[in-house]
Amino acid sequence: MRIKDRHMWIFFVLPGVLLLILVLGFPVITSVLYSVKPEQAGDASYTFSHYSNLLKDPFFKTTFWNTGIFVFLSVGTHMILGLAVAMVLNSALPAKPLFRLIALLPWVIPDVVAGIIWKWMLDPIYGALNDVLLKVGLINAPIEWLSNPKLALLSVILVNLWRGFPFVMLILLAGLQAIPKDLYEAAAIDGASKLKTFFHITIPGLRKMIVVALALDIVWEVRRFGLIQAMTQGGPGVLTEVLSTYTYKQYFQFFRFEYASAISVVLTVTLLLVSLPYIWMISQEE
Amino acid sequence: MKPSTLIAKKGLYQTVIWVFLITVCVYCLFPFVWMLSTSLKTEAEAFRIPPTWIPLQATIDSYIGIWVRKNFGIYFFNSTVISLATAVLSTFFGALAGYGFSRFLFKGRRFLIGFFLATQMLPGVLLVGPYFKILSRVGLYDTRSGLIIAFLTICLPFSTWMMKGFIDKVPDELDQSAMVDGCSRMGIFFKIILPIVAPGMVATILFAFLLAWGDLLWALCLTSSEPMITVTLGIARTVGEFRIIWPMLMAGSLVGGMPAIILYVFLQRLLVQGLTAGAVKG
Repeated sequence: MRIKDRHMWIFFVLPGVLLLILVLGFPVITSVLYSVKPEQAGDASYTFSHYSNLLKDPFFKTTFWNTGIFVFLSVGTHMILGLAVAMVLNSALPAKPLFRLIALLPWVIPDVVAGIIWKWMLDPIYGALNDVLLKVGLINAPIEWLSNPKLALLSVILVNLWRGFPFVMLILLAGLQAIPKDLYEAAAIDGASKLKTFFHITIPGLRKMIVVALALDIVWEVRRFGLIQAMTQGGPGVLTEVLSTYTYKQYFQFFRFEYASAISVVLTVTLLLVSLPYIWMISQEE
Repeated sequence: MKPSTLIAKKGLYQTVIWVFLITVCVYCLFPFVWMLSTSLKTEAEAFRIPPTWIPLQATIDSYIGIWVRKNFGIYFFNSTVISLATAVLSTFFGALAGYGFSRFLFKGRRFLIGFFLATQMLPGVLLVGPYFKILSRVGLYDTRSGLIIAFLTICLPFSTWMMKGFIDKVPDELDQSAMVDGCSRMGIFFKIILPIVAPGMVATILFAFLLAWGDLLWALCLTSSEPMITVTLGIARTVGEFRIIWPMLMAGSLVGGMPAIILYVFLQRLLVQGLTAGAVKG
């Protein structure tokens, strides 16, 4: 029997789909089941107490807030710096590939390595940053970047700016290069100001890339783990604790599998809701 | 406006741009320079106040130490094997699925594409717990194979999407005319499409490799014994030690980040193409 060509997709798509269901479906279902499993055997067959406990857990509340602040400020600063650098790199410059390479370095190294370099850079006594600031005269006493409760989260966000802006820059640069040059020439002939050109040509031309960069960056920042684990492990106290590090702790330090599963399910649902517009946009184009 | 002020304005504009660009470069590079400088210091010098910028007595002891006194060789081997296997597997299955999505219109196609995209959004912490339980039960906890299976969850969706982007760029007429000549679909895929998108496959393999190489969460949760752990976990463990030997840690970090940096420098154009073809179409 010969299979019709239009049915051949099965042989291409199915292996990937089956593999994905095998390596993903199974654990996802396990997580959801754990999140409603009673901690003591012999109780009712399912319970929502882990979810209601979440609302009573002050650490969860702090962690949720921290994650929100971390993601919002990280993505915001990534977009601003990423767009600025992309626009500079899109103009006529000598040695452009070299600059692009340098600007991408922070993004290619492992998360942990980035975290560790900066932990050492920010060391209050032996670190480079305080030394520079002291020498320039901007501060007159060393700053406790990672142990000062008021600064810790902001310091981590500052490091994450270094770590994450190159990706946004890369995506937006590709977008900028796709905007036809004659649009700018026409605007210049019409005597449009730089600001006007920016808002009427650059931003509309970049709209799709901005959505892509936003969606992917939000998801990646919510999942960010190695950087924070290497720098602060969530400390001091829970001041730099985010949902990913908190869930990890609940699993592997406190062994509260049911509770940890409940947190991760909440996190996942939030993430899927946030990225739904993006998924919708992309799959509609297909 | 007089021409002279126009030129002055243009000059000022250029200066601002260059100052900005150089500041960004210093911001990006300085931590690397500091890492290199520290890795070449003796332990005593690393703890000098104020810190020295250029090592007074440069030494490569730390670079020898990570291989001799620490098990960096093992970590490196593990990371390489795990990342490479993950990258090749996910790119192969990704290319198959990418071709299917690119060339066929079928019922549920949009749904499946949405499914692949949605799986990219799942956070690792949702999966590591169940993976720990499942792998322990089947005897794959603390093994390289266990970690490879787990990494497929991160890499396969990305690889599929990237490969689809590359295959989309190859005109469908090529497939059609090959079929007229009597070539089978599988034949077309392996003999015509794969050779054409070979650069794309390299980019996809590279990207998946970097994803796996850079991970900490999964390695931390699914491996534990010295002979099985990866470079990133080896480095992270050193930070947790009671007394951190900074020059050695910096040497380890630099060496651990090196494969990513080298691969990137050589394959920069391909990777940029792949990211924009996959994440960003058109």
